[in-house]
Amino acid sequence: MIKIEKLSKFYGKKQVLNSIDLEFKKGKIYGIVGENGAGKTTLFRCISGLENYKGNITSDYTKLKDHLGLLLTEPFFFSKITGKEYIQLLANARQIELTNIEDKNIFDLPLKQYASTYSTGMKKKLALTAILLQENNVFILDEPFNGVDIQSNLIITEIIKRFKKLEKTVIISSHIFSTLAETCDEIYLMKNGEIVKKVEQADFNKLENEMKEFTVGNRIDKLELK
Amino acid sequence: MIGFGLPLLIGYTLLPFVFVLLSNYLFEKTEFANYVYGLLALSFVSKLSEPKRNDFLKSIFNKYNYKKLRILENIIYCLPFTLFLIYQKQFVFSVILNFCVIIIMLFNFSTNLNVTIPTPFSKKPFEFTVGFRKTFYVFPIAYLLTYISVSVGNFNLGVFSMLLIGITCFSYYSKMENEYFVWNYNLSSKEFLLEKTKTCLIYFSLLSLPIIITLAVCFFNQIDILIVLFLLCYAYLTTIIFAKYSSFPNIINMSQGILIVISFMFPPILLIFIPLFYSQSITKLNSILND
Repeated sequence: MIKIEKLSKFYGKKQVLNSIDLEFKKGKIYGIVGENGAGKTTLFRCISGLENYKGNITSDYTKLKDHLGLLLTEPFFFSKITGKEYIQLLANARQIELTNIEDKNIFDLPLKQYASTYSTGMKKKLALTAILLQENNVFILDEPFNGVDIQSNLIITEIIKRFKKLEKTVIISSHIFSTLAETCDEIYLMKNGEIVKKVEQADFNKLENEMKEFTVGNRIDKLELK
Repeated sequence: MIGFGLPLLIGYTLLPFVFVLLSNYLFEKTEFANYVYGLLALSFVSKLSEPKRNDFLKSIFNKYNYKKLRILENIIYCLPFTLFLIYQKQFVFSVILNFCVIIIMLFNFSTNLNVTIPTPFSKKPFEFTVGFRKTFYVFPIAYLLTYISVSVGNFNLGVFSMLLIGITCFSYYSKMENEYFVWNYNLSSKEFLLEKTKTCLIYFSLLSLPIIITLAVCFFNQIDILIVLFLLCYAYLTTIIFAKYSSFPNIINMSQGILIVISFMFPPILLIFIPLFYSQSITKLNSILND
């Protein structure tokens, strides 16, 4: 379990997270939704320990980060590292002995090619493969479906469902509501650095409609499309 | 701020002086300087021939304006070299050089090779994997120099070839990796530094082993000098790793750069700098490795 209490984060004078209280349990899938700049990525970076913060983040683990697979929105790649070496690098970092990496290449990536030459979707799939092979217990997936083709989308959705059975904790942010609705147990709505709503599975449709109404509203009418 | 934390204004003021100094040095040292200079200028200008960049320009400008712009930017890019060639009274060369940079404008090519170069270091990425691929041509040159040093009986040349490998490996640690790659390690700060240092020294030893063995056999009476210089390479490689992480997540700053330069002039000072950089690294890494 991960418990977040009164989490706040400032960049200079600007407050990006405001006294957040959350609890993520084992074997549950959590979704975080919100507009760009709502604070989702900062929240993930704080949980991972990549940012300093005010408040408390506790977990069942002595060092949460050592059991955490973090998928960044835009994964970073070295200029002359192949896909296979990227996977190897992340496995080495966790002292995991990997054999037959090619057999575990579920997204059929060109592993012998430099990862920096991959497309956005391929980079995402490679980064995801690497953290999946790290044998983590907790996963934070920041926009895992971004730029990914429909076939891979299905695979990622199935992986997330499998994680639930394996009693892993998964936290996902996504702008594609349908994928969250299909996988999550709970969805939190973030706005201006605060959690403004917690929605359980039964109310996902209601949340989607509310978000549509709030986000779209009569904005498009302003364009006076003809 | 630019590299080493140098203020931008000072950096840009110093740049022309450094350029003139290095150019002067080149022309003083070799009679083939104009050829080397021409190649340098062309490789510098060729950076503007990247297909992605020029496709973008083509999408904005019409054919005539695109060509005009590309000729102009190539000539401007080449201008420091042209001016120095004129200063050196190499008028014909400066005309040929400008003719070449105009011709280059007609071609779009990538200066980055995307062919995967095989490396013996792929089991433990990334410094030596990336570094080897960027500098693979240095190693045959170093081994060739060792061969020449033995065939002409010049020990110093052999030592230079070993130092060349040392300097090349040293350069692999000049750039800071993204914090994500450090964060991923489930090691303590001490273990992390030890792991990095161990990998570096083993791989450096592997690369310089052919040279060491050759020199040790062929210049056995100077083996003591060889051992001292080899150990010095170890010390400098350790220093650069510790210095790198002592400024984590930023790149090595001006003051650390100065300390490293001082250590090159007076190697015994490494006995102070290595522990200093080590303790600073531990402090910096503790924050990301949650130690």
